[in-house]
Amino acid sequence: MNYQQADLLEQLAGAYVLGTLRGPARARFARLCAQSELARAAVRRWEDRFMPLLFTMKVVMPSDRVWAQISQRIHSQGATAQPRAAPWRWALAGALALSLLVGISIRVLNPPLQTVATLGQDVAHPLWKVSRAADSGALKLRAMQEVQSNPQLAYELWALPSNGKPPVSLGLLPRTGSVERTLTAAQRAALLSANRVAVSLEPAGGSPTGNPTGPVLYVADIASAG
Amino acid sequence: MSLPDPDNAVLEALLARCARQEARALEELYTQVSPLLLAVLLRILRTRELAEDALQDVFVRVWRQAGQYEAQRGRALAWLVSIARYRAIDMQRAEKQWLPLDSVEEPSTPASRPESTLTQRSLERCLQLLSGDQRRCLVLAYQQGLTQDSIAEAIGYPLGTVKSWVRRALQSLRRCLES
Repeated sequence: MNYQQADLLEQLAGAYVLGTLRGPARARFARLCAQSELARAAVRRWEDRFMPLLFTMKVVMPSDRVWAQISQRIHSQGATAQPRAAPWRWALAGALALSLLVGISIRVLNPPLQTVATLGQDVAHPLWKVSRAADSGALKLRAMQEVQSNPQLAYELWALPSNGKPPVSLGLLPRTGSVERTLTAAQRAALLSANRVAVSLEPAGGSPTGNPTGPVLYVADIASAG
Repeated sequence: MSLPDPDNAVLEALLARCARQEARALEELYTQVSPLLLAVLLRILRTRELAEDALQDVFVRVWRQAGQYEAQRGRALAWLVSIARYRAIDMQRAEKQWLPLDSVEEPSTPASRPESTLTQRSLERCLQLLSGDQRRCLVLAYQQGLTQDSIAEAIGYPLGTVKSWVRRALQSLRRCLES
């Protein structure tokens, strides 16, 4: 890295920590941090530099409900993160029945693996291919190249329902190779009602809240079932 | 009440126990740092409801990520504060919470306190070398999570001017702190 690049990295890291780096530029820098120890080190330096600015703040006592809810959340978290039950899940039960019918007709008409979406910076640089096994409905997630990443972070795939309902997690994306995942009824229904999928950057293990918490890195349209 | 400076060794010991999933340690950590983290979140998110929701997310995240703190020894509080600030910035974006300008507080820069650490004193010294406007931009962005657009509106200067102040302030601050 030459001097100018090092200087640029410091500027970006400073603006990231300060919070003046926003929007797509912020997401791009977060992506760089996921891949580069140099970028992470620059961020840590700026975090340490600015922190004394907080020492003039007057502390504020949280209300009791906060700890009660944290305690509830950490105790209800099993080894696997359960998608949060929400009333709209029931409303989608009907959609599931439909997805089974569609699944059956696809099995007859199409090859066994259908592309759902390709995700990445642009068409020339795909990072993941998401496809669906027509017979079982299982989702196949394949890393098209080795995805460099900070071990503290994970890439999580989301179905974005077209009706404005909250995104539904389809699980974490692999960094190499491919994984096959059987979807829950809620996930299948969400995918069926979605016209786009997205990847967000999350802490290792996935989003702690059941909704995307980190920057959204990529969004792609779902290929029509054909 | 101003900030009690939690001892790094104490925070690290609590994080190590959180990594072993001892819920009691998370509760102690919460007692120690939640009043500071809530103050940080409240400045950026403005409403107590939103700030307390963010505080919950922060501690759930700390619970899950405590095991990864290891690599960054010596900066437990900076690690915790950063998790809170980035969460607040992301939520601010999601909520499109643009602030009424009259709610922009006058930024506060650290006053020398007898117990100030070396890092605090260097930051104070280097901030004093910036122009008043540059310093104000940095502090508004860092403490209140203002975007450059909001800063420009709040202080009544064009966006381009604010951007160049922020860029130059970051450069000077880095040079000063590295020397």
